[in-house]
Parts: sequence; C-alpha cells; structure tokens
Amino acid sequence: MLIKVCSAANSGLETIGVDVEVNLANRGLPAFEIVGLPNKAVDESRERVKTAIVNSNIKFPTKRITVNLAPADVPKEGSFYDLPIATGVLASIMSCELPKKSLFFGELSLDGTLRHTKGALLLSLFAKERGIKNIFVPKASANEAAIIKGVNVYPIESINQLLAYLLGQISLEPAKYSEVKSEAVQAEFDMAEILGQEQAKRAMEISAAGGHNFFMVGSPGSGKTMLARALPGILPILAERESLEVTKIYSASGRIPPEGSLIKIRPFRAPHHTISQVGLIGGGSRPQPGEISLAHRGVLFLDEFNEFTRGVLEALRQPMEDGHLTISRSRERVCYPSRFILVASANPCPCGYLYHPKKSCTCTQREIEKYKKRVSGPLLDRIDLYIEVPVVEIKELSEGRVAPTSAEIRVRVEKARKIQKNRFKEKDIYTNAEMKNAHIKKYCFLSKEVKQLLLQAGMAFQLSARSYFKMIKVARTIADLEDSEGIKVSHMAEALQYRPRDQIRDK
Amino acid sequence: MNIPKETKTNNLKIGHLGEQIAKIYLQNKGYYIIEKNYRTKYAEIDLIARNKSVLVFVEVRARKDERFGSPEDSIKRSKIRKLIKNAQAYVARKGYVKTYRIDAICIVLEENGRANRITHYENITF
Repeated sequence: MLIKVCSAANSGLETIGVDVEVNLANRGLPAFEIVGLPNKAVDESRERVKTAIVNSNIKFPTKRITVNLAPADVPKEGSFYDLPIATGVLASIMSCELPKKSLFFGELSLDGTLRHTKGALLLSLFAKERGIKNIFVPKASANEAAIIKGVNVYPIESINQLLAYLLGQISLEPAKYSEVKSEAVQAEFDMAEILGQEQAKRAMEISAAGGHNFFMVGSPGSGKTMLARALPGILPILAERESLEVTKIYSASGRIPPEGSLIKIRPFRAPHHTISQVGLIGGGSRPQPGEISLAHRGVLFLDEFNEFTRGVLEALRQPMEDGHLTISRSRERVCYPSRFILVASANPCPCGYLYHPKKSCTCTQREIEKYKKRVSGPLLDRIDLYIEVPVVEIKELSEGRVAPTSAEIRVRVEKARKIQKNRFKEKDIYTNAEMKNAHIKKYCFLSKEVKQLLLQAGMAFQLSARSYFKMIKVARTIADLEDSEGIKVSHMAEALQYRPRDQIRDK
Repeated sequence: MNIPKETKTNNLKIGHLGEQIAKIYLQNKGYYIIEKNYRTKYAEIDLIARNKSVLVFVEVRARKDERFGSPEDSIKRSKIRKLIKNAQAYVARKGYVKTYRIDAICIVLEENGRANRITHYENITF
C-alpha cells in the first residue's frame, strides 16, 4: 500500500516541498529502507520511527517498507522527517485517509512523543505561500509556526494522539499564537552607570538612531566594552517586519527555544576575536548563518578589533555594504540577510597608552604602524563614526554625577527612528545608514552653507566618495534626533567631528 | 588447528542435538517443517519451516554452557549476511514470491542433554 505524505525541507531561508512516499510490500524479507539521498540524521530516523511506534503500543508491520523522499536528487538532512515517515507507516497499516493539503514535520522521541524541531516558522511560511491549509508540527514548535496567520497549525503531542486524530476518534484545535511575554529591553549596563564619556554616549545615541557603525579607540580600562554592552539598552524594539526577518534566521539555525515566539529584542552578538571566517560570515557544506546574520537588525560587537585575523575582517566588507550575503558552496547557494550595526573597539597601540594624558606609550613608531595596518583602509572607510574614549579620572569616579538613563535616551532614539520610518515608508529600508545615493539625493537636501562646509572638510580630510556620503547620512540622523526638517550647519559640523583622530590632527 | 578429535565430534553432537530440539520446539508451536539441513552453495540452512503464510528460515545455535559466551553472541553480522544470501538462494530456486523471514533459535543445554533454555528470535534481520 502506497501512502504519500507532504513535508518540506529548509535550505537556508528557502523551503522546498518534499513528498515522503511510504510503501508497504507483502513480499520478500522484512526491511525498512529510506531512499532519496538521506544523510545520517534522516537514515537514523528509521530506528526512531520504529522504536517510537513500538513504544506507543502499536505493532510495527513486519513487511518490506520503502520510504522515498522526493525529489530524490536533492540531499536530505535533519531529523524532521520522523513525523511524516511515521504518519505514512501508521496510515498504511491502519488504512486511514490523511487530511488533504497538509504538511507534516517533526522529530520523534523514542517514547513516541514529539520533540521541538528547528525551522517550524519557515515551514508555515512555505505552507502559506503554497496555499497549504494545515500543518502538523510538534507541540513545542507550534507557537513558532503559528506566528504566520492563515495557516492551521495543529500541535501534535505524541504518535498516539496523531493516530487517534487520523482515525477520527478525536478532533484537534489549531494552535493560537501567543506572544511570550518579552522582557523589557535589557542590557548589561545602564547608560547612567557609565561615568563621563559624554562624547562617546552621544555618538552611540546617533549610531542607535540611524543604524550607523562606530569604532571606539581608547586606552585599557577606559570603558569601551562597557559602553558597547550598554548599547542594546538604547535600541528600540524590532518593528513587525524586522522581527519576522530576525526570527526566520533564528528558526533556520534552530535557536528558537521550545514554545518560542517572535523575537522582539534586537540581537547583540559579541564573538571572540579568535572566530573563524565561517563562524563570522556563515558557511559550511550546508551553509549555516554566521554571527553577522545572527546580528541582523541588531548589533555586532567586535571587541579588540585589531586582534581579529585579517581574512575574517576583510570578509565583512561586502555584507556590510549590501546588507545581505550569498554563501555559495558546491551543493547549494544560500542568501542570509546581514544588516547590523558594527561596533568595533580597539586600543590605540599595542601597549595601549598612546594619547594617554599621564602614562607614556612604550611602543615604537614601527609597532604602532604595524598595529594600525591590521585593519585595512577599505574596512575603516565603511565605518561612520569614530569615537575616542578618554581615560576617566579617578577623581571623577567618586563624584556622583547624574547622567541620562538608557530609557531616557531610548525615547529620543525611538523618536528619530519614527521619523526615518515615515521617510522610508515606501522603500525597503528602515534607517538612514541604509540609504543609497539616490535616497540621499532625495531626502538629504544640503543648503549652500552646509555644502560649503562639507566640501571644505572633504578636501581637508581627503574624504573618499563613500565617506563623503556617510557624512551626509550621519548629519541626517543628527538632524532627525533634533526633529529638524533640514540638515543645518551645526548638524554637519557635529558629523564631521566623528572622523578618525589622525585625520583631524594632521590638519 | 590442533583440536582434539573428540572435542570436534562433541561440538557436532551438540549441534545436531540443538537442531533436533529446535525442530520439536517449532512443531509444538504450530510450524510446519519443510526442510532440515538444506544445502545451498553458500552454506547450510538449519531449518526451513512455514508459519501460516510466511516462510521461515531458522538458524539454530546450541551451547552446552554459557561460560564462553552465549549462543546469541555467536551470530555475527557476517553470519546474518550469509543467512540472507542463503534465504535468497532458496527462494530463487523454488520461485517463491511471498513474504519470508529469518529467525534464530538459541539453546543452552544441560549436562544430561536436555535444554536449559530455548529462546526464539523472530525476524532477526529487521
């Protein structure tokens, strides 16, 4: 008896339909074979299905069972074929009809219950696109799948429950999406806890408001890491569309917890500098998202920027510019989005005390140059704001000065983001940092004085074309923070302050 | 190999005894014995029986005690592969097209030649 069960396989963020054909033959030696290029995890599904069915007190048929995963030439991987295969076997021994236009998806446990399985959100998106009405997923993954409206998501607890449903003994209720109470935006440090560093805080506010990358340079212990870790606290929560983008990436890489829901809080990723290229930008023979994609719509914090290997840093260039990245391997090509705020921090020199007001730097000129050369010009050119983080005097630490809290700053950031949202309503972008030259022409009108200032600075600093436009974008964000329609001279002047120190000092 | 002749014949005896016990055991279970010690070009099939509509190939393993491993341990992967080949050869020769399976019967003997335990494993290749 031949049964066809519909399922789907994820490849990156794309999904393709897979038909699971289960055939029970009454001839030959009893066997259980899976064909259609299964990998180890799929092949082992035989043992899980067999044991789970036996442990659910159902007699496993001693017949020749052949399972075909069609299309047969696409390699299959993952553990989610357990449920469709088990469903096919059950349907053919009980000879019951399967519901039409339905997808099955889920990993089995040996006791016959279903386990949380990665990629449920992508599956239900696929179902919606294809007009498939019902999907059957493990109960723990049902909430994730139910994010997509217009698809009936049936949560399945165990094989016995599914069998009872197939035999018409019970009816199932589609899962209703319930938002997991997202905790308030949280960061390790509150901005108010950080003493001094007004200029750095201001730059962070601009960065958060417009999605600009920034680079902090400072001596050891001046508070660079603390500042970066306070950044999540001033970022607004994700908008609905952004949230779906982020959740998709996390679903594909299996990072949504059981009973999970939409991710509302912007991701903050801080990989160690020993990270490999694949770890940072993604890859593998079945390409997985890297840190830059996991930081999509959030923050990628690279502490000790100069310590990262050169290849790893250079790999950042293209995704930073495009906001997405296509990973090509012989087997497949996968595109992951990667629109993040890059926060980099570094010491000014190997010993760390260059520009220090009291301590003297012990590095030779050669060492300093070698240290700086670890980060290439093209990469630095893609950074919008440079901030120097000065050493805080011990005296100041004991003074209890009042600084604005993260919550207060976040209100201002949210206001500026709202202005941008309205501005780019019909466009595919959200923030000033994402503007293309055409957008700049349209939205950033520069008065004669502002143009003059920028021109002068451009000549003096030897700004590249990219930096030139970056200055305009930063000025636009500063204007947005002040709720100003046009870009004023003061806005541009402030933007120009955030150039690298050597550039400013030389002039 | 330097095996004393009497030991070898002794092992053979145990084997024959085991096959005899297994045959009676299956008959009591309602199996119809078709062949005993059927030879194909690969090896010998200990017993071929019919249970309802299924053709059953039986491998019998007997041991006089379990000091040097149980009879179950003596059925290795390679033996199972051989059993499958054997069964296929038989089925092909006879033109049989329905379901068949391979069973194992493991017997541990007592001193007096009676069975201490008989365990019947159905469908060992599955």
